[in-house]
Amino acid sequence: MSTTSTTMTSPRAPQTPLSRFATLQTADRLLCGVLIALSLFALALGIAYGVAMALVRSGLLAPAPDTGYRVLTLHGTTAFFYWLYTAQAATVLLLAAAEKKGALALRGLAWAGTALIAAGFVLSELAAIAGPPLLYEANPELGTDDPRTVAGMTGGYLLLAAGFALIALSSIATVLATRRQADGGLSALGFGLLAWAGFLIVSAVAAVNAFLPGLLWASGFGAFPHAATTDWHILFHNLHYLPLMATVLVWYALAQDLTGISPATGTAFSKIVFASYLVFVPPTSLYHMFLEPGLPESVRVAGSLLSLFVSVPTLIAFLIVVASLEIHTRAGGEGGMRARLRRLPWDNPAMANMGVAILTMLIGLAFAFVLIQEKLAPLLSDTMFVPGYFHFFAVGTVTQSFIAMLAMAVPAVSGRPLWRPRLLCVMPWIVLAGLLLFGAGGLGAGLMGVPRRVVDIGYGGEAPAIWRPFMAMVGIGGVLFASALAVSVFGVLRSLVPGRRGLAAAAEPHVAAARSAAAPAAAAWTGPLAVVLLVAAMYGATIGAFELMQSLPVTAAGGGAH
Amino acid sequence: MEPTQLESKQHLTTRRGFIAAFGFGGVALYGAWAAYGASPLPFTHASGGHAAHGTAPAKAPAGHSGHGADPLMTPDEFLRRHEAFLARFRTPDGRVVVPAAAAPEDAHADHGAPQPHATHGTPTPPPAQSHAEHAPQPADGEPLDIYLHAFRFGFTPDEMHLRAGQPYRFRMLASDVSHGASLQLGHASRIVRLRANVVSEQTITFHRPGRVLVYCTVFCGPAHDAMSGRIVVA
Amino acid sequence: MKLEIVLMLAVAAIWLALALVYALVPGLDMPGYIRVWGIGALVFLALAAVLYRARRNQT
Ligand SMILES: [Cu+2]
Repeated sequence: MSTTSTTMTSPRAPQTPLSRFATLQTADRLLCGVLIALSLFALALGIAYGVAMALVRSGLLAPAPDTGYRVLTLHGTTAFFYWLYTAQAATVLLLAAAEKKGALALRGLAWAGTALIAAGFVLSELAAIAGPPLLYEANPELGTDDPRTVAGMTGGYLLLAAGFALIALSSIATVLATRRQADGGLSALGFGLLAWAGFLIVSAVAAVNAFLPGLLWASGFGAFPHAATTDWHILFHNLHYLPLMATVLVWYALAQDLTGISPATGTAFSKIVFASYLVFVPPTSLYHMFLEPGLPESVRVAGSLLSLFVSVPTLIAFLIVVASLEIHTRAGGEGGMRARLRRLPWDNPAMANMGVAILTMLIGLAFAFVLIQEKLAPLLSDTMFVPGYFHFFAVGTVTQSFIAMLAMAVPAVSGRPLWRPRLLCVMPWIVLAGLLLFGAGGLGAGLMGVPRRVVDIGYGGEAPAIWRPFMAMVGIGGVLFASALAVSVFGVLRSLVPGRRGLAAAAEPHVAAARSAAAPAAAAWTGPLAVVLLVAAMYGATIGAFELMQSLPVTAAGGGAH
Repeated sequence: MEPTQLESKQHLTTRRGFIAAFGFGGVALYGAWAAYGASPLPFTHASGGHAAHGTAPAKAPAGHSGHGADPLMTPDEFLRRHEAFLARFRTPDGRVVVPAAAAPEDAHADHGAPQPHATHGTPTPPPAQSHAEHAPQPADGEPLDIYLHAFRFGFTPDEMHLRAGQPYRFRMLASDVSHGASLQLGHASRIVRLRANVVSEQTITFHRPGRVLVYCTVFCGPAHDAMSGRIVVA
Repeated sequence: MKLEIVLMLAVAAIWLALALVYALVPGLDMPGYIRVWGIGALVFLALAAVLYRARRNQT
């Protein structure tokens, strides 16, 4: 393992967050194990639906239209809702238990939450399989002929929301019961967990706001939910922000565990950064609505301006984490960038997954920022551009960060070593290759107007012929990253099956052996340099989109509605 | 509890201020927006000719009847005008042909038939418009009204013949569920989202002759894929 | 500890301010935002309160 050669052995073992998984209580290990298994099952199913979708969109499969949209609905429901939110529930609970180094508080509540999530999962899946496709937002407009499907999907989501809210409560109680730092405060990660759990509870409220009216209407107790679109946007904004906040907290924990150093910027600064996530959430919520008719122009303009700040907390957290990694590599002596990069523990699946997650976040951000400009919304919204960029985040960044954390946590939960760590280290790179192909195809297709939610894009031969090859890239790339991700999922699931080997032996090889003897004044230029490159890439993407927009043989004015 | 804290003399790149400042890096994209006249703050009004390409209420509709010309067109009102529009421009073979500036006889017929008494906030081409016909393609001419109706699963009209260079005021209604009425313009598209029972309006000028695919980009049910129409620009 | 309470209060204040904007600015007809940001403000206020209580219990 490369770390051992570059770090100095310290007299006592580092008390880093993830190595503390070893202190998980037996009862908590069972609970966490069940939650992890549930989340990975959802991910596996979501991947399967995703592969089917990739084949359909590339034209290799031609199902009946209804089947195509049903698979699309199932993919979104399973991967976005049930994987990302069960994984967050598992993560917040695991990290809270690790903070406390003792039994979870309100464990019964957490068990109840787990049961609610499982029930919601079954209900949503059944409704999506049996009824007409409503897409993952459970659009009641599409279910007017079949309110039972609306009731099933919204009911499932409400159970999920109640479930992760209960687990968030248990996590909050656990974090509050931790032994305090010298100054009487929580650790930076502990405070971050508190903020994240609070945000999970708020999002459960947003889910009630979005789905309860639909459920009431479908059950015959209320009027048709005409505000469903707006209420969905509110929920969705929360829901796509939360996993990023979770990711950053996972990176923060992982970086400490992999390098043995805590951020040079200090605990207070980290707390401010985590809190700033919550500060930047509400004001940046408008860009999802740029294409909505009837949104006042002033709101559009304000929405664009505010959205410029959407990446601030993520980039600051990115800089903190990358600085820690870089200082760690400098501790092993000088050398060029490549020599230093090699000193990171790439033979640890957690590092490999996190490294690729950081890379894909930068790629995703460059393109995400094209969409926050309201004047470019008519070029790209509702096109393949959107799935083309968001899979960089959803799969590359968020999912692989959770996998990274599970690669550390699962051996502690199950007492079994990680299944084939060598192989699992390679998978993130294949995911990256697949994502690059998928992204290039999707972004290109989107720029040319391929709609994101049309199964058969032939339009009786009237669609441009060039749409096809781009969608073929989407298909091939999608199958590639899905296959590699499936191997990672299998590996983690396999390691979850309780084994005979002792806990200590299982957890040991994957935790940094000791803290680095880093020079306190070490420089960390990689992060800032990456930000400069990112801004350049954002400029490139945005300018490209503006140029394309201007080259259209059409002038349009007024997006207004009456 | 926390691992080794790095203290004492820190390198510039690990100082809080430095990291916080770089965290705001994304905000620098404002410069690109400003360069394209899409900067939301007043002091960078880089009012290039570019601005007109956006969705902002640019020059075209602002001049004459302005934005809130008819403050609230109900779906019923839309459908009534839509019928009149079809009656006026439908040819015997089912296509809808809207000339650049309405031909004289049409123009007169128009003033008789479709909106005889309506309080004319609605600019059906005023008589002055027939003069414009002499100039071949009046680039900043008065926009002609188009009524595009989207429903499960089609558009009416589903084939329209329009002229290049003539501004058209597209009034659009999705009368059952939400739909899209996006325009495929060769190497890229212009995406239009319509919400159920809300009349939307955009003034659109096609600059080149050609066929434009009109397609639904908001999933609306089983035959969503088949929901398309075309505009032939002459 | 004090910082933690201040941060939670700051978050609650900003969410409350946004809820008020949606409630009071005419033309922003989106009551869902008032509910979600408003209840969110209460959640973070509650977190500030439990942090305050935890601090008092400790000393
Ligand atoms: Cu449609």
